Amino acid sequence: MSDYGSGRDAAAQPALRLSGLSKSFGKPAVDRLDLTVQAGEFYALLGPNGAGKTTTLRMVAGLLPADSGEIGIFGVDARRQPIEAKRITAWLPDEPMLYDKLDPLEYLEFVAGLWGVPPEVAQERAVELLHVLGLWEQRFERCEGFSRGMKQKVALAGALIHNPKLLMLDEPLTGLDAAVARQVKDLLVERVRAGAAIVLTTHILEVAERLADRIGIIHHGRLIAEGTLGELRSIAGERHSTLEDVFLELTRPDAVATEAA
Amino acid sequence: MSLPALPAPKPGSFGWLLAHDLRLSWRRFHGMFGKLRPRTIALIVASALLSFHALAWPLSRWFTGADAEIGDGRMFYPALAAGVLFVLPWLISQSLTGATRALYSRGDLDLLLASPLPAHHILGARAIAIAVEAIASVSIFILPLANMLALNGGSRWLALYPALAAGGLFAAAIGILIALGLFKLVGPRRTRVVSQVLATIVGASFVLGLQVLNLLPAATRETIVAAIDRSEPGGLFDRNGTLWLPVRAAAGNGPALAIWIIVSLALFIATVFFTGRLFASSVVMSAGESAVTSSRATRNRAIRFRHSRARALRVKEWRLVARDPWLISQILLQVIYTLPISIVVWRSLGTQSAIAVSVAPAIVVIASQIAASLAWLTISSEDAPDFLASAPVTRAEVERRKLEAIALPLALFLALPLIGLAIFSLSAALWTVLFATCAALSTALLNLWHPMPGRRTMVMRRHSQSKIVGMIEHLLSLLWAVAMVLTVLGSVFAALPILLVLTVLWFNRPAAAPLSSPTSA
Repeated sequence: MSDYGSGRDAAAQPALRLSGLSKSFGKPAVDRLDLTVQAGEFYALLGPNGAGKTTTLRMVAGLLPADSGEIGIFGVDARRQPIEAKRITAWLPDEPMLYDKLDPLEYLEFVAGLWGVPPEVAQERAVELLHVLGLWEQRFERCEGFSRGMKQKVALAGALIHNPKLLMLDEPLTGLDAAVARQVKDLLVERVRAGAAIVLTTHILEVAERLADRIGIIHHGRLIAEGTLGELRSIAGERHSTLEDVFLELTRPDAVATEAA
Repeated sequence: MSLPALPAPKPGSFGWLLAHDLRLSWRRFHGMFGKLRPRTIALIVASALLSFHALAWPLSRWFTGADAEIGDGRMFYPALAAGVLFVLPWLISQSLTGATRALYSRGDLDLLLASPLPAHHILGARAIAIAVEAIASVSIFILPLANMLALNGGSRWLALYPALAAGGLFAAAIGILIALGLFKLVGPRRTRVVSQVLATIVGASFVLGLQVLNLLPAATRETIVAAIDRSEPGGLFDRNGTLWLPVRAAAGNGPALAIWIIVSLALFIATVFFTGRLFASSVVMSAGESAVTSSRATRNRAIRFRHSRARALRVKEWRLVARDPWLISQILLQVIYTLPISIVVWRSLGTQSAIAVSVAPAIVVIASQIAASLAWLTISSEDAPDFLASAPVTRAEVERRKLEAIALPLALFLALPLIGLAIFSLSAALWTVLFATCAALSTALLNLWHPMPGRRTMVMRRHSQSKIVGMIEHLLSLLWAVAMVLTVLGSVFAALPILLVLTVLWFNRPAAAPLSSPTSA
């Protein structure tokens, strides 16, 4: 039986707790994954292509049923109470999910409606987010004409408008120019300071190195290393000074084989 | 033994460009058949051609026989004129759609226009591809008839081949000129919408014309028929007049065919040569325009969030449908093509009591088809299914709101015919509302229960993704129409089709399935 409560003791619970989470598409994509992220923590999930990062996030977001294991979000069992879990979660995929025929304001109004944010609160947040993300001038333009970076910003605004306690971001900075990427990073750090938890996947290791409180490295669906950058350095060997060195060392085919043995 | 390979056109030459465009046309055609192999597609096309030849044989026998009896072309000239009036607008409609697509699609044209190739070469190759696609859309019906007419009535009927080819070039030129004219006249932002609506109206003009003719008073119709019969020299219906040139060409009149080919070719070449630069600049302008799609009115609109979850879901669907005029025009086309049949039945029956068994069932069928199309659009063509699946809302609620959302556009589509019906017979109108609602609900539910993901532009070909669902959908429409007629006639057998509908729906009820399909990492 699940040991997750109804969410009433949310403050005492980890923001995200994965326990023995597995998913297979013929061969295992996520293999008995255990992971814990605390509230107010910025967690970066790294791994080579096909390591199982996106599958993990999709299972947490309720888009993909897990084969086995448990998903707890602030004490809510996401597999048994998906609606309750989704209410406090936001998921931003690498490809922005937008409606081309809606403008950013209409999109935010729609998202706020779905998450049941009171209209007056949603409106205030929408105006603020559009200003912060530099979308105010385009607020009445339909998304179909937007560049990929602009679409990503609209999707991010959508992910933030209901003030989620857990944010899962899959490659959120892809396609953004340097100035916007900086804005987005500042916005995310601000959310973490306010008590939200962020799980982010990225191939830009510099982002993980600079933003993340803890970093998890996933390979072949399993968490092979986890900790602060300093802790990962010591796992990989002191001669590896940057996260890139550490990542490459830990995901080396022979290193992974040794780990598995 | 291998066949000698055809010499490949020189890269950058007109032939090379044409081969590129025809390859794209072929891929679009291939795409209509899903993942079928070329050999299977060839087999399907060959079977269709054989079938149409078989159907055309008795028709051509009767036609040539009757023509020989009456003589003087009095039989085939009006029939050919009707054919030309149907085919030529259709070709123009297809060409207008193709030209607009070429103007707005951000495909390879940007690349081609950025290359050092002359603009009129690029437009010329694309224009030929547009003409070929338009011709192909009707040739499968016309050419078998031409072949069978030639077998039964002489080789002059083979003139339909060059006449159709010239018609395709003529239509392509007209289509391009209209598209560019609209671009100048109403601006890049509105051209796409206006041309889509215009293409629909032009394509259906013959059917619309027939409809108008059917609605005219009997005396007026008789006057028109008499005018056609008299065909006074210099008049509108003079077979030797300029307007009848395509008809005479199709009938195998040598000089007329030669003039028709020369006129079409000249118009096509002139269009390509003189509008090449304009076309290129329009493509560039349309690219800039697509980035800004807000009107002055919306720029000044007040920001006021006020939507609950239920309303947010409904309003989203309405906005998406209302902002795609092409979809609306395609759905309206169904109505336009269906209504004349009911009007013909109505007039032939003539009495008020007959309305219930003529127009009303047609409205029931239309309601079910529109509801099915809208349900398909809202469910299968959801732009962001994963996003909805990640929201704290159940699949059942999303579906319920989508059903509610399609009720409004459906009511708008049907309001006019229902009001018209109510004027003649209030009871018939009330019965129609009841049965149309049931029929719409049935086909909408069927589409909700069997979602077949596809692009929104696929709305008119949605049945190609599941023939069985398409057949069940038509069966449900028909059963409700039959139930309606039997109910109005007071027959207890009306319960039979209703029971059958309920049985069909029961066997099609859904198994729990997620809104989105899983993908791997």
